Amino acid sequence: MLEATNELGNVALQAGGTLTDANAAAALAVGLAALGAGYAERGIGSAAVGAMAEDDDLFVNGLILTVLPETIVILALVVVFIV
Amino acid sequence: MSAVGSSNPEYVVARVRARRGSLYGDEEYRKLTRMGPAEIARFMEESSYGEEINALGSRHGGVDLIEYALNRNLAEQFDDILDWSEGELYDLIARYLRKFDAWNVKTVIRGVYTGADQSAIEVDLIRAGEFDDRRIRRLLEADSIDAVIEVLEDTIYGEPLREAYAEYEETGVLVPLENAVDRAFYERLLSGLGNDEPTRQYEAFLRAEVDFRNAINALRLARSGADIDPAAYFIEGGELFTRGSLARLARNLDELVEYIADSQYGEELGPALRELEEADSLIAFEHATDAALLAYGDRLGTIHPVSVTPIISYILAKEREVENIRAIARGKEAGLSAEEIESELVIT
Repeated sequence: MLEATNELGNVALQAGGTLTDANAAAALAVGLAALGAGYAERGIGSAAVGAMAEDDDLFVNGLILTVLPETIVILALVVVFIV
Repeated sequence: MSAVGSSNPEYVVARVRARRGSLYGDEEYRKLTRMGPAEIARFMEESSYGEEINALGSRHGGVDLIEYALNRNLAEQFDDILDWSEGELYDLIARYLRKFDAWNVKTVIRGVYTGADQSAIEVDLIRAGEFDDRRIRRLLEADSIDAVIEVLEDTIYGEPLREAYAEYEETGVLVPLENAVDRAFYERLLSGLGNDEPTRQYEAFLRAEVDFRNAINALRLARSGADIDPAAYFIEGGELFTRGSLARLARNLDELVEYIADSQYGEELGPALRELEEADSLIAFEHATDAALLAYGDRLGTIHPVSVTPIISYILAKEREVENIRAIARGKEAGLSAEEIESELVIT
């Protein structure tokens, strides 16, 4: 299985259609992570606003939960520093 | 309040879950069953019904105040839910809440038929459906059944009512008109539902409700032994009965009970069916169907947390709460003991 994947990778590299620039790949990784975080925050955010509308005390909890997916972007940012 | 855009179940579910927390539990019911009507009203004033009790307190009193406050609160809450929801979600919720439109139409028709005055009809309406205030006002102003039908011309009830009106004129009884309203509602209820998993579960719930309604109607007919065509009361969409099987079974009570006991609902309704055979009490059976629906609704709300199902589950629980409080208040008024009232409540 692994060999087959390697083989496939080689073929793809020879064809020249893949991303070989490490910096560009890292940028893509951060971008995709941010996209995922944004999508997750969409749902959490609307739920948090709904909960806050019913009970003002939930503001802090709502805020924390809403920005929680942001951590994935920070983790993805690590990739930028290690490449 | 619109059916355009994409669904926003996250927002509505969050709000509904918060409200669900403030519904009465066992503890509150136990307290309520030991109070008199005035105390119940005061107890409600301190909970989520405060606004309604205060608004109506000057005009009504006693059990009437409780009843009207309950109706108004129910309408307010369900209107809110419709306000919040968008897109497909709105459509799914409106389907179920249209039953209050059907209720209102029937109430107005009955009021006009018996010549009740406008304010007497108005307090019995539950403004939780899709009809806006203007249409309700026009309905209330209608002074004949023909005028009522005219107001409803552009709704789903217009055409069926128009058809039933001829029959009403011939016979002079309301049954054809009421059946027409019910049928228009149930036809819309189950047509064109989506195919994702939560919607399928919602559909299963709606079908169960139609089945129970058919079963109760059939049991009533079978017990009364009246010479009425059972097929006329049949509601399409259920799984348990077909028009033919209902017509056949409604002639024989024993066969009907056996048929229900052998169906997929046998497990939930079994004890109530036995009671029905022994004590001849249809009320226990109706309670059992309500409890089964409520239990199913509770389960429904936990499987797909971000979908239409927790919202429907809340709507059911709220309806049940209103009915329970009404039963307590009415029971107190009639002088029933706390134990007797408790047996009337449906609590899961």
